[in-house]
This record gives sequence, structure tokens and C-alpha cells, in this order.
Amino acid sequence: MFPAPVAKASPGARFAYSALLPLALIVWLLPLIGVAVTSVRPAGDLAAGNYFGIPSGFAGVENYSAVFQNSPIGQYILNSFKVTIPTVIGAVALSCLTGFALAVYRFKLNLTVFFLFVAGNFIPFQILMVPVRDLTLRAGLYDTTLGLVLFHVAFQTGFCTLFMRNFIKALPFALIESARVEGVSEWKIFRHIVLPLMRPAIAALSVLIFTFVWNDYFWATVLVQGSHAMPVTAGLYSLNGQWIAAWHLVSAGSIVAALPPVAMFFLMQKHFIAGLTLGATKG
Amino acid sequence: MAEVNLSGVRKDFGQVSVIKGVDLAVKDGEFCVFVGPSGCGKSTLLRMIAGLEDISAGELRIGGADVTRIGPSDRGVAMVFQSYALYPHMTVRENIGFGLRMTGHPKEDIQRRTAKAASMLQLQPLLDRKPSQLSGGQRQRVAIGRAIVREPEVFLFDEPLSNLDAALRVQMRAEIATLHHDLGATMIYVTHDQVEAMTMADKIVVLNAGKVEQVGSPLELYHRPKNLFVAGFIGSPKMNFLKAVAAPLPEGRIGVHLPGGGTIALDARGARLLQEEPVTLGIRPEHLELGQAGGGQLTGTLKLAEYLGSETMFFLALENGGELAVKADGLAKAAIGSTLCVGVPARACHLFDSEGRTLVNGDLSA
Repeated sequence: MFPAPVAKASPGARFAYSALLPLALIVWLLPLIGVAVTSVRPAGDLAAGNYFGIPSGFAGVENYSAVFQNSPIGQYILNSFKVTIPTVIGAVALSCLTGFALAVYRFKLNLTVFFLFVAGNFIPFQILMVPVRDLTLRAGLYDTTLGLVLFHVAFQTGFCTLFMRNFIKALPFALIESARVEGVSEWKIFRHIVLPLMRPAIAALSVLIFTFVWNDYFWATVLVQGSHAMPVTAGLYSLNGQWIAAWHLVSAGSIVAALPPVAMFFLMQKHFIAGLTLGATKG
Repeated sequence: MAEVNLSGVRKDFGQVSVIKGVDLAVKDGEFCVFVGPSGCGKSTLLRMIAGLEDISAGELRIGGADVTRIGPSDRGVAMVFQSYALYPHMTVRENIGFGLRMTGHPKEDIQRRTAKAASMLQLQPLLDRKPSQLSGGQRQRVAIGRAIVREPEVFLFDEPLSNLDAALRVQMRAEIATLHHDLGATMIYVTHDQVEAMTMADKIVVLNAGKVEQVGSPLELYHRPKNLFVAGFIGSPKMNFLKAVAAPLPEGRIGVHLPGGGTIALDARGARLLQEEPVTLGIRPEHLELGQAGGGQLTGTLKLAEYLGSETMFFLALENGGELAVKADGLAKAAIGSTLCVGVPARACHLFDSEGRTLVNGDLSA
């Protein structure tokens, strides 16, 4: 087995491993710990310059209730859901279809089309900022959740197609052939044989896309201005005062905003890991 | 009526031909077996009949209708796959009824036909299990059940028993043969196992490199192979081949000079030799007579002996470097390294010309 399990290493290495691992973990988690500690810091600490020290008191309740009272964060979270859920449904549904077509049918430009889908992932999305903004503006979708959803669906479908195509390619092809010989139509083969077997892939991809889209900040700021359509990632900015940065409130808001994807992750963890390897190892 | 007719059927992948023009007629209700070495195109040919591979050229008719360009779902055939291809998310009952359900059969009809298929294959206690909870033989039976429930006129089997262990294979072989008898449907069966071919077939098609070498009943192929390939492929252990020289003899006979020096006089049975020519003499291990001077005689050193109980296989190294397999009685014994004398009965000898075509077939009934 590679890498060799730690349990088989020399005692010195084992000791170093058990000492360094928690240390590395803490270093790695420092930013997150920083945000969590800041979110319960009284406002006075920040004014006094106590950014990283022990908080002078526990102000978690005030901070978190302030987040909900002083800003339309409820609206923002709702907007985030309004963007994320349709995107997940749209991208996963589309990629089930494209993945099926690319995995099952032999046609001339199959590989070319597949590479086009994949190639889209290699474009740094910042390049698209100006054209996409112009496009949505002209289409009358600027500053709407629909505009954001459409863009996200278009941009995520490439990766989803790669994932789904490889997953379906790894399914035994004889299942499809067998159904064909039985006289089952192609749509019914997709609906009744392939789709049920794709459940782990669908679960994994949903979590992944949910997290991607929920955490998107860039497009939320580029394509949306008003709070009526602003997702929570961009909306957190409004927690700052006009003149001062209210880091304790922004931190508390960030924690709140991070909860849905974390919850989703833990709920679907099992599917997610199984699905990721299932889709990735073959094809 | 569901006879299957292939005429001039070809399969080309670009420059490479996999099936090089096959003409074949499978009669209604016949059990036809395709055999051949791996890569000979037997599975491809079956998949072409099923509609899973396009036919590059030629014509395929099932039950008189031209189905060359028709998709698999409209050909009215059922196929059993080597990997069983059971739908893993469905129970046995759902697996069997799936095709009917998807093609809009009424519920009672599906239920009745599923029950009938299940009882034919003793699947009733397993109907509510998933494929993952079944053994190999049970999965195979479900796959067959899925085929028979559609009551097709043509069944296609693609090496259905090759994933089973030996004992189960013998049992399933008998079950499929019984099924064929009960249903009376046309069946086309692909295998590389010639025991399956010999025991089940009404008609065997020997394929080699995309071409049909010979079509015939099992015993016809065994006793009267048309060429060296069929002679070597059918029969286990393999037929012995010896390089020899043949010359015409008077009274319609052919003299064959054996490598050991002896000569056998064969009845030419119509074959004509004009001059001396190199030939291959073929004789099956079971027709050689150990320790007896028959029409001719060969001597060799015993290299290996396999005592199978019912019979004993002796493998001899001949003096000129050739090898000879001899099937002897189960009680026969000989020490490794000893010299054995083998009689070659003239009436069991086959003679092939330098291009591998049969000149003379042995005739044991004579």
C-alpha cells in the first residue's frame, strides 16, 4: 500500500506525526478560528486594537442578533437560495442529459463536443466579466436572480457534464444494450435504468455545485447591485457601517452564511465521497 | 415462423473487416451454436443479429422480414448477455417484467407472464430479491427469465455460461436444452466451449477469422471436417496431425508414407491424387490403438500420462520430432520414458492437402 500506513512507521516518526498533525491542523484552521472568535468579540475590542487577542467579553448574542436586525441578511440568504437551488437543479439536470448523450451515443463529433465542455472549465472566469455583464444587461437580466442563475447554470454545466459522462461511461454498457433488445425506447432507458443508477453521482454533484454557487462572490458582485437580488456572500458587505468596518458583525454574518453548505456537506457526506471516486476513477 | 437468414453479411471497421461475408440459414426452432477461437467474430455476428452492431453490407432476415437496417428494439429477438446485465436497482420480479412494462403491456398480462417464466426457471422464491443477493447461477436464470417472458421467436445467447463454475455450467446447459425443447423457439448460441456446442446444438457453425469454416450437425463436424481448422477445433483432446507424403495407388487407393517409415493404404473415396504430394494426416486420439499394429504403426517415447480414471491420455514424442496424443483405456499403464507402439487404423484417418482442405475423411462405419 502506498503511502505506507503511519502505524507501520518507526516510533520516532509516529511521535512526530501525532505531535505535528494537530499543530498543522490548528495552523490550517487559524483563519476560520479567527473569524469565529471575532464573531463573538464585543465591538469595543476592535476599536481598542484587540484584533487577535483574547476577547474582553462574550458578545456572541449581541453580534448575531445585530446581524439579523441591522441588515437584510434574511433577504440575502433567501436570495442565495433563489440562486443556488435553481442552479443546482438546472446544471445537474442538463448534465445528466449531456452526460448520457456523450457516454452512450457514438457520433462523429462526440469527443470534440466533450472536449468543448471540458475546455470551458479552463477559461479563467474573470476574463468573462465584461462580456457577461454586457450580455446580461442587454438581455434585460442584469441585477436579477434569473441572470445569475442562467450564468451559473451555463458555467457549471461544463464540469457537471465531465463528471456525469465519466460516471455513465463506467456503468456496464450491457445494461443499456439489454434494454434496447427488450424494445425499451431510449428515453425510457435513460429514465428507468440510467437515472436510478446515477443517484450517487447526482447527490455528489448537487453538494458540490451547491457549495460552489453558494460561495460565489465574484459574479454576485458583478451581476447584481440591489439588495432585492443580492446573495448573502456579497450582501455581507452591507454589515459594515458607512464609515467604519464592523468586523465582528461581518464575521458573525459569514458564519451564518457558511452554515447551509456545511450542513449540506455533512448531510450528504457519504454520497459525496462515494460519488466522487465513482465518477472519477473510470472513463 | 422465425428462421434467421444471413446473406453476404459483413462488418467492417474502417479498413478492418471483422465479419467477411457470412451466408447462413438457421431454421425455425433450430438450436444453432456459433463456435470459434476468441476473436473470430462470433460474438460480433450475434450482436449484428441482435441489432447492437450495424451490418456494413449484406442482408439479414428474421422470419422472412428484412431487418438489416432496423433497430434492436424492433427485431423481436431476446438476448442473454455473458455479464447477465441485470438491472441492479430492480428486484427479480421487476427485472423480468421491465421490458413488458416499458412496452405498454397490461398489468395482469405482465404478472401472468412473469409468474410463468419464474415457475419455468424455479425463480418463485427469489422474486423479491435484488440481483446483488443472488448467486451466479440464479442471476443467469433471471437473465434467461427476462428473455423468455417476452415470448420472442428468436433467442440469442452470448456465452451465457462462461461466468459459472463447472458444475453449475453442466446444470444450466441441461436447463437451456430443456428450455429449447419446451419453447420450440429458434436459438442462436455463442460459445467457445466445444462441449457446450457438441451437446446442445442441432447445428454448429464454426467461425474462424470472420469466415464460416463449416456448418453442420455436431457429429458431421466431428467425423467429416471439411478442412484442417475444423478438424483441429472440434474434438477434445485435439486431433493429431502428422506431416506425411501421399502417393496414388491402384484401385482408387492412396498410400501415405508415415514419418516413422510405415505406409498406410487408404481408401481414396473419390479423392484423386495425380502425383506424390505432401499431405497432413489427421487422426483422433481416441481412434489410435495402443500396442497394436493396425494399418500402420508409429512408435514414440512416452512423455506424459494423464490418468483420468475413465480413460488415460498418453502423450508421445515421435522419433521424427512430432507429438502424438493417444486416448487409451482407463486401466492402461505405462512408465514415462518407455517406448510405445501405436497402431493407426486406416479407416479412421483423415487426409488434408497442403492448403488444409480435406482430401479424404475417415469412415469408421465402413
